[in-house]
Amino acid sequence: MSEQRRSVAIHVPVLARVEGEGALDLRIDNGAITELRLRIFEPPRFFEKFLEGRHYTEIPDMVARICGICPVAYQVTAAQALEELFGVELDPWARAMRRVFYCGEWIQSHSLHIHLLAAPDFFGCDNAIELARIAPDEVRRGLRIQALGNELMDLFGARSVHPVGVRIGGFHGAPSMARIRDMREKLRAALPEAEALIRWAASIQMPQDDQAFFSVAMRHQSDYAIETGDIAASDGLLIGADAFDGHFAERHEPHSTALFSHYRGQPYLVGPLARLNLNHDRLPERVGKLLAESGLVLPSRNLFHSLLARAVEILQALHEALRLLEDYRVPDSPWAPVTPRAGVAVGCTEAPRGLLWHRYEMDEEGRVINARIVPPTSQNQARIEENLRLSLLNFGLDLPDDALRLHCEKVIRNYDPCISCATHFLRLNIER
Amino acid sequence: MSRVRILGIGSPSGDDQAGWLAVEALLDIGVEASLDKLDRPGANLISLLEHAERVILIDAMQSGGPPGRIQGFDQNAWPDYTHGLSSHGFGVLDALSLAQALDYLPPRLELYGIEIASANPGEAPGTAVRAAARQLAATIAAGLAAA
Repeated sequence: MSEQRRSVAIHVPVLARVEGEGALDLRIDNGAITELRLRIFEPPRFFEKFLEGRHYTEIPDMVARICGICPVAYQVTAAQALEELFGVELDPWARAMRRVFYCGEWIQSHSLHIHLLAAPDFFGCDNAIELARIAPDEVRRGLRIQALGNELMDLFGARSVHPVGVRIGGFHGAPSMARIRDMREKLRAALPEAEALIRWAASIQMPQDDQAFFSVAMRHQSDYAIETGDIAASDGLLIGADAFDGHFAERHEPHSTALFSHYRGQPYLVGPLARLNLNHDRLPERVGKLLAESGLVLPSRNLFHSLLARAVEILQALHEALRLLEDYRVPDSPWAPVTPRAGVAVGCTEAPRGLLWHRYEMDEEGRVINARIVPPTSQNQARIEENLRLSLLNFGLDLPDDALRLHCEKVIRNYDPCISCATHFLRLNIER
Repeated sequence: MSRVRILGIGSPSGDDQAGWLAVEALLDIGVEASLDKLDRPGANLISLLEHAERVILIDAMQSGGPPGRIQGFDQNAWPDYTHGLSSHGFGVLDALSLAQALDYLPPRLELYGIEIASANPGEAPGTAVRAAARQLAATIAAGLAAA
């Protein structure tokens, strides 16, 4: 008996519940995937070109504009890269508060993604408004946690969207003891809420979707890596930020304005699940205990565990911020003096969505000659396409179009892609 | 702190500054209310709705009418302005709908839309929108003074 396999073409012209604008084209012919393209069609944003000629003092505020959700990641990565080049010795206070500032961004970005973007998928809801009707207490808790993350960013950045607190050498100002005392109380009060969030996230039934992939994340000798550490991969790679180019390659694909990244010729994963896979042994005991109770076995090869990974990182970030604020003092000066020098500045940090790598060539006056920024979403782009292909085969290509479309959207949302960040300047070569 | 909160929503793109202009005009007039200019606040809008007795929200609107036309809506008749002017797909209407589902809406919520022509980055707002923002501010201020 011959079997007639169907052919379908599914186009998702605008992906919902992701940051920025992208689309997906899927074609199935006779039961096989013949086309699968995640198209990122936000216009190239030319940020790297905008930075050329700019003085180092302008860089933190300019790169903050790359993303409305993760401006701290861009600011801190740029500042640390330039501080290393300029030989600036940061006060330990500034180093610690950069990490606290960054924790605020993880908390707000992760909570936004869990509650407003990802969780509705797993409750049969089209959006967060529908989810709020069936799980109002959980969504309220999520918004409270998100608001606390914003408040922590506001504390050091003067505002949570495109904050302006960071300068090369430290911060422009230091919060008062009274504000820190107030923040400590709020962080303490949020700990049980974040613990409850982990239990809730662990209770959500997730699809089984086992896939092999490289995890790539920063790794620190003692801490859960956020703003400092080397670059590690799940095959044992451990390199400094300056060796990134020797191991990771970017290339352009015609259907996307974001660049695709590969490691050893293959796609790789960055982000919360990659971090947890590589660094779960660096979690504080209290967080590790809850993670163990959740039943999540690490390393995980199921991207649907990303939601739980974000919940775990929220608790980790709350603990870390609280720990670093326990011995807070108002410093004599929140910044160290800076003398620019010519050379190449390279640095990386862990943005909420994964590894963020910056490179700046600077002149002797401290102006940018050229800049290169590799954001996490462009690194994940090839992995998203690979994940979709494998996940659809596992899910079943003969299922109705609507089911396939929804499944694709769920897979993409696991990565919390920030398409606005990933759109990239495209170098144009003309041959005549 | 005042229990009346006035939120002007906009972006630095031509006529999309309508909400900001109205708040600036209210600051010039001087009213008994807390005033904020917001740039596409997304879900952060929700926390600004809590703990207020009355919220007046002013935003740019594109519904095909002449630039500068002012429309008022109460909380039972939010306009369909979900397209285009929101940040990251979570717009003002989404935030208000989510706030409603979570029972976070203030007892009184008024929404004003100012019809705009174009919202191009870096452009100055047009004269019709500037005039409308001043007119709306005067109306709101008179209403607050009479309350």
